[in-house]
Amino acid sequence: MLENFSFRTIVEYLPLFGQGLVTTVWLSALSFAGALAVGIVLAAMNLQRGWLFRVPAKAYIDAVRATPLLAQLYFLYFGLPRLGFVLPELVVGILALSLNSGAYIAEIIRAGILSIPRGQVEAGVASGMTYIQRMRLVILPQAFKVTIPPLLGQAIVLVKDSALLSLISVSELTRAGQLLASDRFMPAEGFITIAAFYLLLYYGLKGLAALSGRWLGLQPARSST
Amino acid sequence: MTSSPSKNGTGMIEFRGVNKWFGALNVLRDITLSVEPREVVVVCGPSGSGKSTLIRCINGLETIKDGDLVVDGQRLGDPATNMTRLRTEIGFVFQSFNLYPHKTALENVTLAPIHVRKIPRTEAEQAGRELLAKVGLADKVNAYPSQLSGGQQQRVAIARCLGMRPKIMLFDEPTSALDPEMISEVLDVMVAVAEEGMTMMVVTHEMGFARKVAQRMVFMDAGAIVESGTPDEFFAQPKTDRSRAFLSKILRH
Repeated sequence: MLENFSFRTIVEYLPLFGQGLVTTVWLSALSFAGALAVGIVLAAMNLQRGWLFRVPAKAYIDAVRATPLLAQLYFLYFGLPRLGFVLPELVVGILALSLNSGAYIAEIIRAGILSIPRGQVEAGVASGMTYIQRMRLVILPQAFKVTIPPLLGQAIVLVKDSALLSLISVSELTRAGQLLASDRFMPAEGFITIAAFYLLLYYGLKGLAALSGRWLGLQPARSST
Repeated sequence: MTSSPSKNGTGMIEFRGVNKWFGALNVLRDITLSVEPREVVVVCGPSGSGKSTLIRCINGLETIKDGDLVVDGQRLGDPATNMTRLRTEIGFVFQSFNLYPHKTALENVTLAPIHVRKIPRTEAEQAGRELLAKVGLADKVNAYPSQLSGGQQQRVAIARCLGMRPKIMLFDEPTSALDPEMISEVLDVMVAVAEEGMTMMVVTHEMGFARKVAQRMVFMDAGAIVESGTPDEFFAQPKTDRSRAFLSKILRH
């Protein structure tokens, strides 16, 4: 059994895994930034009282959550060119991950904002703050602390979902594993290695979340009542 | 500024025939009340009588359905009235303090002065330290709300309002959420604010405070002002059955 396991081949392919890892890291980072932007806009729309913004936001979030990411990815990759939009696969990949993850992040942000006690809003209102000032100075700083753990979870999901981009021939980490598997017929070596790298990324993200928590100040985000 | 009562609507706060409904419930009924500059009015009454709603209308935390409410010469609901601006003139102290938990005591006091009043930070911080010293919390400047007792939090909340240099201060049951031994430290601060000539409306059942600083008692029941008068009159000879029943309950112990 294990005598067939070739560490030597893994070492030989390390540069390829390294490149894949780097690609996965930066395209995930870009996608997460995009997803945050999408999520903030959707959450803001979803929190409006009027239906004009709320209904489209809800419809979008439902549509994304109800359909497989792979179907969304294929629609963007194969479908869009037929409609006249030809984009490089990397752009399509980042777009798909941003648009998909953004829907989930919108719900995380919305829940975070709604978790802030009503009294905080009233204190801001009573002191003459505008809506924007209240959001910026009172609500969002508190909501952000509450949302760090679920945002970390979503970031981890996004990194793992980025493996699907191997299917549209983006040279990321999973693609490197596939290459080893198909070039040398060594699926065990190929896929256990990428698993190890994903695990590494997971711990990296956890560390980053802990750091950002400390950077934002560790005062509890609980209200006085 | 005049402290003489006026009939023709120069009060700092003027309710004229104000009504408000929550659904079918008439929570404010034909409220007519004028609060003069520098006057301290204490509002009392049974739970659910509309006391909190009454003062929450003054800074627009609640909106009125009909009647007129004029605050500092500006009619609420009038398109010409800039509500955000008017609120900077009105301090509001909440029953549950509502301090910003992610800000220190000093930051709580300086946040609105810096961002709303546009006072330079160093100046606002200087004033904030003085205010915190005034409410007896000079040593808690850098403490977070979670590190303070209820009484201390409420004193920071009062300093936070004073930092805006308001013309009016509204108190919504400011001591109801406090342990008994912390009530007096908050009341002492409120007495000091009243003695400096602040226009105040205070919803409270602290009758000792009312006797000490209130010029007028307002008794509410079922959304209406049932009785009003000086504290001496009110406590010695309540005019209605409802106020007598209420007083006998809260003064029995």
